[in-house]
Amino acid sequence: MKGGLRFEGVRKVYRWRGSRVRHESVKGAVLGSWWRRRRVKAEEHVALDGIDLTIEAGEAVALIGPNGSGKSTLLKLAGGILRPTRGMVDVEGRVTALIELGAGFHPEITGRENVLINGMLLGLSRSEVEARLPEILDFAGIGGFIDQPVKTYSSGMYVRLGFAVAVAVDPDVLLIDEVLSVGDEAFTRRCLDRLAKMRQAGVTMVLVSHDLDLVETFADRAVYLGKGRIRARGTVDSVVARYRSDVAGATEKPAVGGVTRGGIDGEVQRWGSGEVEIVSAELTTTTGATRLVPGGTECRLRIRYRAHRRIEDFVVGVAWHRADGTLVAGHNTDLDGLVPKSIEGEGEVSCTYPALDLAPGDYLVDVAVHAKDGAAYDYWCDAVRFRVTSTVDWPGVWAPFHRWEWDGELFE
Amino acid sequence: MTLVRLLWRQRALVAVLVRRELNARYRASVLGFLWSLLNPLLLLAVYAVVFTYIFHPRFPGGDPYPLFLFSGLLPWLFFSGTVLDSSVTLIDNGPLLAKVMCPPEIFPAVTVVSHFVHHLLALPVLLAALVVAALAGWHPFPMTVWLLPVALVPWLLLAGGAALGISALSVKFRDLRDLVGHLLNLLFFSSPIIYSLDGLDAPPWLERILRLNPLASLVEVYRGVVFTGAIPGIRLWLVALAVGLAGWILGALIFVRFRDTLVESV
Repeated sequence: MKGGLRFEGVRKVYRWRGSRVRHESVKGAVLGSWWRRRRVKAEEHVALDGIDLTIEAGEAVALIGPNGSGKSTLLKLAGGILRPTRGMVDVEGRVTALIELGAGFHPEITGRENVLINGMLLGLSRSEVEARLPEILDFAGIGGFIDQPVKTYSSGMYVRLGFAVAVAVDPDVLLIDEVLSVGDEAFTRRCLDRLAKMRQAGVTMVLVSHDLDLVETFADRAVYLGKGRIRARGTVDSVVARYRSDVAGATEKPAVGGVTRGGIDGEVQRWGSGEVEIVSAELTTTTGATRLVPGGTECRLRIRYRAHRRIEDFVVGVAWHRADGTLVAGHNTDLDGLVPKSIEGEGEVSCTYPALDLAPGDYLVDVAVHAKDGAAYDYWCDAVRFRVTSTVDWPGVWAPFHRWEWDGELFE
Repeated sequence: MTLVRLLWRQRALVAVLVRRELNARYRASVLGFLWSLLNPLLLLAVYAVVFTYIFHPRFPGGDPYPLFLFSGLLPWLFFSGTVLDSSVTLIDNGPLLAKVMCPPEIFPAVTVVSHFVHHLLALPVLLAALVVAALAGWHPFPMTVWLLPVALVPWLLLAGGAALGISALSVKFRDLRDLVGHLLNLLFFSSPIIYSLDGLDAPPWLERILRLNPLASLVEVYRGVVFTGAIPGIRLWLVALAVGLAGWILGALIFVRFRDTLVESV
């Protein structure tokens, strides 16, 4: 069936991404190999790893996750724009990517010529483009401007024409990267209408968007990416809810005048307005702070904070993850029914766990102080890292205290 | 080779893009396509004045010198223009590569073809000059002109290979572009374009180096056909063809080696 997508064990590594020396030079290539090898190693960035994903023909799937989580990379792999470093990407049928509308337009030549070129770049023959020209012009609605050089177009006309060409090629798979947010409202509505019709016609759609409301209305399924791995997948409602709770509804971009700390390669690992700051977070057992916790012991998560002004609307929360990104647990003072009074100055909040019944492995804890509506004062990803040890290598995440009982002489 | 097959499949796209390239270049000019004719004509006129009234270079078989020079310069301009443009073509078309799915090999192909079109448009000027020279009795008309399409084959092969190789390499090595300019300069003066290898009054070591220049055979074949009027020896033909083929294969290999990672670096 045309329109299916399959990712198997896909890994994508960028080299020299986001580095100061962006591109290799002949000079660099001629210099010593020792120096070069060191540099190359230092500038690798794993954008995606261990991605196994199947999208059936006719499905509408949304990719969500924070900036730098690998959504766009995944989309470009699906479009054949990028190739996986490892693994396999298999896409059946004609793919069109709506990544940047009108990206291929040449400013000096007319809209008509640009439509022809773009259509052919997208895989149509010359006569096919000409046959669809009336439909394209109708959707773009730019009238006589079609015979003017594209440089004379307004940005709205530009985008409309770009969209019209891209959807006119009758793709089996449509990849959409944030393009619905570029035009005015009328344009967005028309685009959505057009996309909805295409969906009914059975076109597979993969959508990348930060607009979670759009995602919820548009997609059947969602895939939540974080740090290049799939953190969750399933029905769109459940995955979006998970994502919302993970980021506590905070936008990835800091509030105006706020702070963004940490982060490599543009990946925000800590964000928020900074009105309340998390000074430190650590895991302690009866023997003090530790990064090595025997499974089943009592421990306490201690969070030191500093509030720069008096705030009455606040929630303190934590989210526990496995090193592979699996969410283990999440709780906050609001879910636990605590009613905030006020937070001001420096202080400490701690959460106690009578027995840490976790299977052995590496764990990460996100710590956050945010408003009740989710706007973060300080959201710190992976604030605490530690390893749970055990005498037995228990599988899974939960290693509870347990006991077997039996009749007769079943066991020694 | 699969690259040739890929390009052949994209021939309609390449044709449209070449037209875009030419259209965009001439869109805002009054004379339009006439520029393709006018540029070589002006060049020839300047050479004719300078080398008739100011300098008097003398080479056996190098008379009239402006025509001699012009017949060497035309293919060189095609080649050097292609090489220079190919060092930026992938970077300039980066948005197309990264945002629209399209095969990267079409861009060096477009560069070669559009420069080739320019070359073809300049040929009438050369032919007219040859006719004038023949009528005025300065230089007999070369009856070998009909061999020109054959003489262009090694040029096309070499320019194609160079465009493929350099376009891919210049994405990986951003300073290649400056280097290419210098190398072209060096190649220009070490090729028998402004002089002839016959009767060269140079030290033997220098002449040996100059004769090793792979481009020499291509220049000599071209000039032999359109200026001298003698069919070049079979050995020269074969050398020129071998150089063209070697250039094509080398360039294609380099391109194929980098093809899959071009988009990330653009």
